[in-house]
Amino acid sequence: MNLPPSEYRPGVSIMKVHHVRRVGLGAVTGWRDGALTVSADEARDLLAAPCLARVDVTWASPGDPIRIVKVLDVVEPRTKGPGGAGIFPGWLNPGPEAPVGPAVTHVLRGAAVVVAGYLPRAQEAVIDMTGPAAALSPFGGTHNLVVEFTPAADADWADVDDALRRGSLALAARLAEAVLGAPPDEEETLPDPTAVDALPRVATITNLQTQGVFKDVFVRGNSFNGKAPTLIDPAEIDDGAVVSGQFGHPSLRNPTWVHQNHPVVQALRARHGRDLSFAGVVLSPEPVSAADKAAVSAAAARLCADQGFDAVILTKEGGGNADADMALKMDALEDLGITAIGLFAEMAGPDGTGPPIVVAPERATAMVSTGNYDTRLSLPEMERALGGAELALLGVAATSAMELPTAVILAALSPLGWGSLTCSPEATGTATTGKA
Amino acid sequence: MARIVHYLNQFFVGVGGEDAAASPPSSQPGPVGPGRRLAQLLGTEHEIVATVSCGDDDAAGRPEAVAEILALIQAANPDLVVAGPAFTSGRYGLACARVAAAASAAGLTALAAMHPDNPGVDEAGAAPVVASGEAARLMGPALDAVAAAVSKVLAGEALTAADGLVGLAPRLPRMADRNAAERAVDLVLARLGGDRDATEVPLPRFDKVTPAQPVADLSTATVAILTEGALVPDDNPGALESARATKWLRYSLAGVEELVPGEWRSVHGGFSTVWANADPNRILPLDAARQLEREGAIGRLHDAFLVTAGNGTSVANARRFGVEWAADLRHSGARAAILTAT
Repeated sequence: MNLPPSEYRPGVSIMKVHHVRRVGLGAVTGWRDGALTVSADEARDLLAAPCLARVDVTWASPGDPIRIVKVLDVVEPRTKGPGGAGIFPGWLNPGPEAPVGPAVTHVLRGAAVVVAGYLPRAQEAVIDMTGPAAALSPFGGTHNLVVEFTPAADADWADVDDALRRGSLALAARLAEAVLGAPPDEEETLPDPTAVDALPRVATITNLQTQGVFKDVFVRGNSFNGKAPTLIDPAEIDDGAVVSGQFGHPSLRNPTWVHQNHPVVQALRARHGRDLSFAGVVLSPEPVSAADKAAVSAAAARLCADQGFDAVILTKEGGGNADADMALKMDALEDLGITAIGLFAEMAGPDGTGPPIVVAPERATAMVSTGNYDTRLSLPEMERALGGAELALLGVAATSAMELPTAVILAALSPLGWGSLTCSPEATGTATTGKA
Repeated sequence: MARIVHYLNQFFVGVGGEDAAASPPSSQPGPVGPGRRLAQLLGTEHEIVATVSCGDDDAAGRPEAVAEILALIQAANPDLVVAGPAFTSGRYGLACARVAAAASAAGLTALAAMHPDNPGVDEAGAAPVVASGEAARLMGPALDAVAAAVSKVLAGEALTAADGLVGLAPRLPRMADRNAAERAVDLVLARLGGDRDATEVPLPRFDKVTPAQPVADLSTATVAILTEGALVPDDNPGALESARATKWLRYSLAGVEELVPGEWRSVHGGFSTVWANADPNRILPLDAARQLEREGAIGRLHDAFLVTAGNGTSVANARRFGVEWAADLRHSGARAAILTAT
């Protein structure tokens, strides 16, 4: 039962979580006792666009001997009611930039819509459903409805990109609609973010790599390219206000699914009222030029100072040039007396002896490692490949056994902090936040 | 008594400086230059039976050079190969490291000596590298360290950091007990609690590069244009990577006045290549360079360009490219270069 929109309170989400245990294709999209059935015809209808000649959907589940290549975006099925009712604002609900609809969101946990296929400029991303890479990606552990596509003759690639995004979001919302009326496995009421005066005010800055078509991120349906750093209600992030169109560095991009499950927001909520006061989320673009990076960083730091934040956790998106956005903001925050912590992937070479950070902060020196981009992985042969027949990066059949750097596994070094991969000088033991 | 072959560059065997940097591999009996002092330090226990040398440009820039050097070394039938010390000299360090690596791969015991920041450190393969100071004025202590290391290696002992063994403790991947976002919150609370040093990642140490002196007279100089913008012939015949490049390529500009759209393409994976492909001269400014050549502002444009993809490239590979490019350009007579970045 949804709260009426008038009961919407900023920052509050009530999540009705349905665990997906079995998946299949069938005549009608439906939900029964943890089993999700999808009508391929309905999926194709939702993705239909003049620029797409053909669309296919296939399930790939954890443990299947399947490799998904050329992955573009991944979306978690969520809805707030028939037609989406406020989910993915700006996409399913065109018109004014409405914030969000009802507070209650239905989530199909453990399922994902995965779009895979060739787009120009997209760096080839891999998901393995079994083998050593499966545990490194959020999507080695989800039941993935893989959307493959063939563009129409003479289709504009930007149109193809847009149609895939609109279609996959609509499909994700439609899948979640199947659980409306079914009892959830669990219900999470995310904490009221009212400030707790006695505790330090900790916020997060989420950098979005906004560098043009095929390397862009959307907020409420609009490109965030050229925008100023902006506060956003974390409940809007839950509702898919941030949608990825970012197909750069596979391990260092943030697919829509990871924004929907923003790990730093979740970690701050978990400690709210106990160890800290979760004080806000700032979205910031990652512009291209050095001057714009500096200007945006200074503006983001001033915004945090205006809000009275005591500390900020910063996250990035992209490769080495995104380290500059991190370093500039971290130093700008420290200069204003705000403690800054950055999540960085290391780019330390295959043997881990190179300098770990491309552009390091000078005054703000607290960094968390999400693993080494260059670490080599030996991946097994698979029975089936989705997204393409060839891994263009190596020029080999996508099903073959291959050696790849962690850099190629989708979200394996998740800049938003999804993963547990890290690096340290010792070979064994568990991570502690220790001195370098 | 152990037989030692010593590898040096053209400068330390007295052939010449940069003017002789293209000299090919050669061998002479006995110790030469700093090898004489090394022989004294090693005493009567060991003998430097031959000194093999090569010009820096040839050794670092010509792919076959290392195999030729190794053949000269093997001809002297050594028990141990010592290369250097190369201090901070990039091409020399790369040559020493590659010679030591090749000797080691061929079953010989080998070690190289150079400054820890020398790009050669990453290329020594299985051979140990012993630290030296920054420049030849520190030859004395460098040879003391090499002599001690030679004695230890010949005694069958492994070198350690105490012997000057170079090598950073590698940062190894592992799974932590919680995700990175949760650890970030812990780190925030540690810092707010007053721990000013808590971090998972140490600050990296980067080289400081001293810019070269300006070219005195550009109107007589051969100038090269280079790019990390991944501009290659349209069919990318050298299979340059779009990211994490492991190689660089060289393409001729002889007789080419400007880069025609459709014939050239940027395969760079880190930026929108639409405008680069619409006018490749904006990645590699050949049109402007030819204009300067016609005006006499530069003596001559070098008739090839060097290219790689600067996108997620490891520092070790980037250093190696830099040293190899310097050797290649010196070899070709270029005295200045413009490197465009994207």
